[in-house]
Amino acid sequence: MAQETNEKAAATPVTMVTLTIDGQSVTVPKGKTVLEAARSVGIDIPTFCHHPKLKSVGSCRICYVEIEKMPKLQVSCATEAMDGMVVSTNSDQVKQGRRAVIEFILLNHPLDCPTCDKGGECDLQNLTFAHGTDDSRNDFQKTRFREDDMSTTFDDKSIGPEIVLNRNRCILCYKCVRSNKDAFGEYDLGVYERGNIAQIDSAPGEQVDNPFSGNLVEICPVGALTNRDWRYKIRVWLTETTPSVDNFQSSGSNITFSKERQKNKIYRVTSRPNDDIDDGWLPDITRYGYQIVNSPDRLKKPLIKKGGTQVEVSWDEALDTIAKRLANIKDSKGSVCIGGLAAPSLDNRSLYGFSKFFRKVLHSNNVDYRSDCRMLPSSSDTICSRLAMQPFSISDLDDSDVIVVFGSDLIREHHNEYLRMRKAFNFNGARLFSITPYAVKAADIAELEVVHRPGKEEFVLQAVCQAAVEDRLVDDQTAGRFREQVGNVDLTELCRSAGISTDSVKQIARALASGKKISFVVGEIVTRSREREPIAAAICNLNKLFGLHDKGQVAILARYANSKGAQKLGVVPVPHKMLVDKMNVLWSETPSCEAHNTDAMLALLKKEEIDSLFVLGANPMMVYPDLQFAREGLERADFLVACDLFETETTQLADVVLPLCSWAEYDGDYVNLEGRNQTARAAIKPIGESRTGFDIMAALAARFEASDLFEVDAIESEISQMLAIADTPALPQEYTQVRASEDKEKDGFDIPLYLCDDPHHSGHLTEKSPSLAEFSGEAYAEISFDLANRLKLRNGESVRVESPVGKIIIPVKISEILNTDVVLLPRNFSSTPTTALMMRKRRVDMVKLSKVDD
Amino acid sequence: MNEVLKAVGNVFLKMPLGFVVTLRHFFKKPVTLDYPYKKKPMTPRYRGKHYLERYDDSTERCVCCGLCAAACPADAIYMEPEENEKGERRAKIYEINLLRCIFCGFCEEACPEEAIFLGQDYEFSDVNRNAFIYTKEEMLVKHPRKDNPFKRLYRRVRKVHGVTDKIS
Ligand code: SF4
Ligand code: SF4
Ligand code: SF4
Ligand code: FES
Repeated sequence: MAQETNEKAAATPVTMVTLTIDGQSVTVPKGKTVLEAARSVGIDIPTFCHHPKLKSVGSCRICYVEIEKMPKLQVSCATEAMDGMVVSTNSDQVKQGRRAVIEFILLNHPLDCPTCDKGGECDLQNLTFAHGTDDSRNDFQKTRFREDDMSTTFDDKSIGPEIVLNRNRCILCYKCVRSNKDAFGEYDLGVYERGNIAQIDSAPGEQVDNPFSGNLVEICPVGALTNRDWRYKIRVWLTETTPSVDNFQSSGSNITFSKERQKNKIYRVTSRPNDDIDDGWLPDITRYGYQIVNSPDRLKKPLIKKGGTQVEVSWDEALDTIAKRLANIKDSKGSVCIGGLAAPSLDNRSLYGFSKFFRKVLHSNNVDYRSDCRMLPSSSDTICSRLAMQPFSISDLDDSDVIVVFGSDLIREHHNEYLRMRKAFNFNGARLFSITPYAVKAADIAELEVVHRPGKEEFVLQAVCQAAVEDRLVDDQTAGRFREQVGNVDLTELCRSAGISTDSVKQIARALASGKKISFVVGEIVTRSREREPIAAAICNLNKLFGLHDKGQVAILARYANSKGAQKLGVVPVPHKMLVDKMNVLWSETPSCEAHNTDAMLALLKKEEIDSLFVLGANPMMVYPDLQFAREGLERADFLVACDLFETETTQLADVVLPLCSWAEYDGDYVNLEGRNQTARAAIKPIGESRTGFDIMAALAARFEASDLFEVDAIESEISQMLAIADTPALPQEYTQVRASEDKEKDGFDIPLYLCDDPHHSGHLTEKSPSLAEFSGEAYAEISFDLANRLKLRNGESVRVESPVGKIIIPVKISEILNTDVVLLPRNFSSTPTTALMMRKRRVDMVKLSKVDD
Repeated sequence: MNEVLKAVGNVFLKMPLGFVVTLRHFFKKPVTLDYPYKKKPMTPRYRGKHYLERYDDSTERCVCCGLCAAACPADAIYMEPEENEKGERRAKIYEINLLRCIFCGFCEEACPEEAIFLGQDYEFSDVNRNAFIYTKEEMLVKHPRKDNPFKRLYRRVRKVHGVTDKIS
């Protein structure tokens, strides 16, 4: 009977148990705790040490309930619900128990609420108020952990760049240590000593600076862990909250802004748990990245270049100038001479407005959102773009039994997926495989980590297919077809050129063949590679051979907050056919002129065949993987317009600079990497005179007498129609030959370079957040211990990184993870333009390293 | 003639009679004060202008916890905390708008640090509205404290009620 009521249970038979809680009958799947059963019907039981995403330890004992036939009170968070249990959550005995627990916890609690940042939202305060006594029977000195400076009454201690620990306040619920270990896989925090001097502390000689450390502060039920961001700023009851979504990550974690309306200021970001997306964990980028919103460096007024310097002007003047110049270029040279780059972190309306303005008002097809990719294909219907449009669901990672991470350093690109993967491993025993050109952090729990030779991605995939065919892991018919269409390749030969062992390939093939639910996620290393198409073709072969698509998901993960939206709204030179069809319906026509992507636009700018570039929020000078090329292009532009939050390398070159609103200043919709459309609400009023991307496009359209095209209601309905196109293009039905071209060797340059994000940064904006700068504030060259040894470099010493086109000198960072000769450079710090070392035509950039002797 | 006598009688007999009360007061001690040269002592629990206490070693008692502002029915208190060099919590800005204040004393009641008190001072009229916003510097008591008999009395009252100064 119980099975009928629960759809999921019907699919996979789960035994249900029925128990009575406070006279209410509750039916839950077997294995749930009494606490979960009670909460499922809205009966609240107080807790300190329970966290829905962690295993129970039952250390605080506030969650006492009385269960009939059990002699003593039981902790509900660690007691499994059994059939026929009769539970009482508010009998006299329970109340007495809770009172005693509170009294016990308060024995050593300093009660320094007036100076505690948790005051006002503290579980201990609330539960003491609800269940405690109003008097103390304690005559003894409380245990006090003193800091060295005896003159102060404050016992706070910094245990990381952002985290402050006060051990007196800690109630030893171990939530911080448990989440750090189980959910984030970090071991920089622990419990030391025993008895009444048991204390939380950072591991000896270590700092709590992992990219998820902010969560520890949020889940601490008392004010023992607080962060510098919120420290002594404002009382929580003086702030108001606004629901929003994250703008630095493609998964779109749900967040809450705490703000002060009068001051027009945001004070912090906390999570708004959404089990489908973030599980309530936020990476530090999200938690501290908001600080850019209130940064004093924000652009506040439009600027126009007059006589070599940029001077502040009014919006009207700036927009009139832009409209006049664009109209001039359009009339004299044709609209194909105007190009536009938009940032994939803008909201749907801005991106759609941008595309519509270019296509419908200027009649130009030159729009692109991918300013960080080199050598993009000119056509849109490629295998890679089809792969990128495949459905993907974050929560499906949870119950996948085989997860393959291909070409992605998750902790630098996709923090939420990184945590999900750990969850799948820790809680559901998933088997993880990682295939990357350099060792990654995420692989520490992998069953097998394959580090192949850089630039040989497709060889690994081909080898896996070949191994499956040779070992008869797939049925003969499939294998025959594969042989027929791809031909026989020598497995050992493939493995040798990829620099991997045949055993590892066979192991992956066996896992893929035996997995019940498989998630195959592909990351940035593939999408940013010049040879993305052959690699995608190899992935499709693999997919077809193992039937991955039917057994789970295969997807290229979108990288930025609204990359998926930009993709779905067609902000590319040649959108997919179904998008063009829809545009034709909505706008009655689309321009038919030539379309150029980022690469082509920059190249044509250099050749002076494109005269004007309109950059909305993007910063090609920082992210395009060939600084030289980007600079030459932008410098030759006759008329460059750049809209951004801050002065960037791109706005410095611009003829007109428009201040852009940050995402916290207007209501906007963002499509996360799963295709989920989420709304971020405006928390504060726009800073200075900044405007949203859509307002800018609409104001320009008005100057072209096209404001009727930009009516908000109509635009909204058009956007929803575009997003509603649900078809995903099919992956190729046949096996394809994989042919990638190799780089020409360059003598002397022997170490591959990978451009990546620092785990505490994302894109070019987060640099302006003081907290994130505390974690990591300047560029570094990350190399393996081995390589550092050979170069006789110690951590922090300067290293000269030279490529055929450039040279930079930066401090070296010895990685605990890398184990091959490769150098990682973060692209987030404007003081060190690391893209200067890259050449757009190369598949893998090669550099040479040498020690700087001073 | 009679009329004349009557009038004279009125002036010299009846009128002084009518002034008896007045005249009596003429020889009494006056009830009015020679304000502002002389001032009347207020009752010990009078609620006048606020002052902020210090510990005996001169550190401010107020930790900027915000409870006074939360208790204030008139929303007269504004504060911003900061971290001092020792990592302690202190008020960066602490202001009371005495035009808004209704002198209810709730702030004093709410303060967990015994930092704010309503004093005896009631003379703070001004012609400028902004002058009624009292800052932390204006309200903090002098250190060392000028010995004022009322405050001494007040401190004694507080001691009796079990509030002691910081033990060094
Ligand atoms: S620091 Fe906070 S989260 Fe950690 S054990 Fe103590 S009370 Fe619990
Ligand atoms: S006396 Fe009353 S009205 Fe005046 S500041 Fe204090 S709490 Fe507010
Ligand atoms: S005066 Fe008292 S209640 Fe007000 S902020 Fe200072 S310590 Fe808190
Ligand atoms: S919540 Fe159950 S023992 Fe802590």
